[in-house]
Amino acid sequence: MEDECRSAKNDRKISRRGFVAGTAVAGAFTIVPRSVLGGSGRTSPSEKLNIAGIGVGGRGASNLAAVSSENIVALCDVDQKNAEGTFRRYPDAKKYRDFREMLERQKDIDAVIVSTPDHTHAAATVMAIKMGKHVYCEKPLTRTVYEARAVAQAARKAKVATQMGNQGMAFEGNRLIKEWLWDGAIGPVREVHVWSDRPTHSGKKPLWWAQGIDRPTETPPVPDTLDWDLWLGPAPHRPYHPAYVPFKWRGWWDFGSGGLGDMGIHNIAPVFTALKLGAPTSVNASSTAVYEETLPLASVVHYEFAARGDMPAVTLHWYDGGIIAARPKDLEDSREMPREDGLIFVGDKGKMLVTGWGGNSPRLIPESKMKAYKRPPETLARSIGHHKEWLKACKQGTPTESGFDFAGPMTEAVLLGTVCVRMGGRKLIWDSDNMKVTNLPEANKYLHYEYRQGWTL
Amino acid sequence: MKSQSNINKDDSTTISRRQFVRGTAVAAALTVVPSRILAGRPAARPSETLHLACIGVGDQGTRDMKTFLDKPDVRIVAVCDVDSNNRDKARSIVNEKYDDDNCAAYNDFRKMLEEEKHIDAVLVVTPDHSHAPVSITAMKMGKHVYCQKPLTHTVYEARMMAEVARKHKVATQLGTVNQASEDSRLLREWIWDGAIGPVRQVHNWSNRPIWPQGIDRPTDKPPVPSTLDWDLWLGPAPYRPFHPTYLPLVWRGWWDFGTGALGDMGCYSFDTIFRVLKLGTPTSVEASGSAFSPTMWTELQANEETYPRASMVRWQFPARQDIPPVEVVWYDGGLLPTRPEELGQQKLDREGLLFVGDKGKILCAFSGGNPRLIPDSKMRAYKRPPKTLPRSIGHHQEWIEACKGHDPAGANFEFSGPVTEALLLGNVALRTRNKLYWDGPEMKVDGAAEANQHIHCRYREGWAL
Repeated sequence: MEDECRSAKNDRKISRRGFVAGTAVAGAFTIVPRSVLGGSGRTSPSEKLNIAGIGVGGRGASNLAAVSSENIVALCDVDQKNAEGTFRRYPDAKKYRDFREMLERQKDIDAVIVSTPDHTHAAATVMAIKMGKHVYCEKPLTRTVYEARAVAQAARKAKVATQMGNQGMAFEGNRLIKEWLWDGAIGPVREVHVWSDRPTHSGKKPLWWAQGIDRPTETPPVPDTLDWDLWLGPAPHRPYHPAYVPFKWRGWWDFGSGGLGDMGIHNIAPVFTALKLGAPTSVNASSTAVYEETLPLASVVHYEFAARGDMPAVTLHWYDGGIIAARPKDLEDSREMPREDGLIFVGDKGKMLVTGWGGNSPRLIPESKMKAYKRPPETLARSIGHHKEWLKACKQGTPTESGFDFAGPMTEAVLLGTVCVRMGGRKLIWDSDNMKVTNLPEANKYLHYEYRQGWTL
Repeated sequence: MKSQSNINKDDSTTISRRQFVRGTAVAAALTVVPSRILAGRPAARPSETLHLACIGVGDQGTRDMKTFLDKPDVRIVAVCDVDSNNRDKARSIVNEKYDDDNCAAYNDFRKMLEEEKHIDAVLVVTPDHSHAPVSITAMKMGKHVYCQKPLTHTVYEARMMAEVARKHKVATQLGTVNQASEDSRLLREWIWDGAIGPVRQVHNWSNRPIWPQGIDRPTDKPPVPSTLDWDLWLGPAPYRPFHPTYLPLVWRGWWDFGTGALGDMGCYSFDTIFRVLKLGTPTSVEASGSAFSPTMWTELQANEETYPRASMVRWQFPARQDIPPVEVVWYDGGLLPTRPEELGQQKLDREGLLFVGDKGKILCAFSGGNPRLIPDSKMRAYKRPPKTLPRSIGHHQEWIEACKGHDPAGANFEFSGPVTEALLLGNVALRTRNKLYWDGPEMKVDGAAEANQHIHCRYREGWAL
């Protein structure tokens, strides 16, 4: 909280320098050269980015706080109640409900942070990218496979700085995983197990959000503070219900992508980078009952990836909803198997266990192997911080760890798992180049959907 | 309470017609009691007719009762149900079959066992939570018992069932009919023949639950149906208000009454797996499962009332003589094992049993039916061994013969008790979500106080084993 207060103060300072907005070069196409001004540790006002937040409650508020060294010039949210705190924190930022209106009217925006529900990520991101704005977008990058490809393509074309909000990519652990695996610590990896207990909350406590349920039939009034039509955005119209907002939209096919789209992105990312994965060749799955409206309560998804360079073909097993991988024999009895978020790399010569989300704290198991392991030199560049990477990229064109060129294909692969689950777990053979399922054409209808009128990519 | 008085009245009427029976019959205390020809009974009754009482005559109980009703060497002498509708319907069926009105009817099995001294054997088809109290009461009185599956509600009860059966030397049989099947024997013969080499892993998956699980306890309190003695239905289970969400059938999903999908179906498949792989006590069990409640957008609350909608359970069994250690993996709620490559384009059924050996795989229906090596080419090439195992005379007949003093039935409690213990340990692991190391002889989980609380449950006052 103290940090947040401090940030807010900074923001006020920044906002007093409104003139900057007029003179700053919009980071529209390329790198803004960083000029060294002032004393060490100071940042020149002319280097500050003008940032707009789209979706500014909850996670959006944290993202803004993380970049509050910059000018927060505009805030957009469809839920006035959820945005209230953020609105107060940045009194000088212009307030909007509709990001389309914001982007069209306010010309001084260099970069946007998209922290809306999944189903609005792509529409907001692509519009901003096409206008030359840098974009930080929460994970998962998009709600559909098609959107993920479209967003990555748009970003590539516009050459803007991008970062998907899987902050685990900046973890030290993520670098250790790569350095150790590439060092051959466990030999070639042919099998990976990844899980998150979402939507379950800590194994046997309440749920984070509901899955495996039908659409509610009652139609309570829309709260005064919520613009329901804008919240729906491109998604098909349905009556308002508190089952969706705030936060609980993740379990609904129309709005979210369940545990896979949530913690799955965090936990699978280290596998993608370390094993240099791209598109899977096929996916199959099993789950609890699949509902018309919501993702199942628990699922297990198996992704097959072909050999890459000198790395052999690998199967990635995903578990959610409380189901987890088998406890490896190499894990000592005295040690807990992670129940919430976990990751196991199975190599020809050993195993690596990652406890917690996002790829932090990898260990070779058993611990005796870890102790005996002669760690390779730390050759990979360490992160300056997840949000800072993006800010630097906006200003200097440096790469980010989870730029859309990486995040797009990974999101596609992850979401293909949800398509498979929705198809009852039947094996899908994936033709990535043509973005289609070849063996089960019915599955292709779940790769995207028709946006409501007024909404485009 | 109204129903209680009705039933008492009924009971007393029925019983009073047979006052003399109680006075003269020798209690079937120790073993098979040779039948006597008594007034009011068919005069030409063969000497070895088994006097059977049916406890729990709802849908399943009535089906089982009818099976025995067709047996010439069985005479159903009493029916008992906590619901007078079930009870009266069952009595009518029995009386109609025998063309008399001699079938006694009770709603409290304790009273029935006390008063109907000529009962030789009982058929127990109550909900899971009453299996052990009913069966053990009967066995201690020297009655033979046929009990529907799962044998018990808790691990401890399973141990007790086997012990009491042994001590009282009664004939017992669990309702795992597949144990008598030809396929169960073929599987044993093939795997013992080395058809797929040593078996190191078994996958078993069920599409159950087909009843609600992962739900909250209802808060409304509808009136108890006039025909139901709710207190007796609860039996040893902790008191809770009546609600139709518990019965009939749907009690399976509640921790207090049922054993979930694993208890409902696992006892069939585990019977097969145990016989084929000569399993005993597992060394460890681990489980993971889905959330306990999916309907939480209005109010987030912890829930441990029901089994989860899906689970995965893994047992490790140690080496047995020349057989290597084996892992048994259970899936329910729609979860499936990784598809065996040998299946090619063939569909993996929603229920099944797969034995994975060093030299091949055998895929079966859920309980071991229709076993075949996969792929088909391997099955075709396989030279089947001679049929050396004795075949069954029929699952129910096995028990009838055992009651008469012949060989024990295949799924007698001394066999089924340990199988049930292992099975129900899976539920303990599911409840604690930990890997449990099982000390079989001591009947406790090493170093896990929480898990040990679930090895048995506390009975209500007035109920004991």
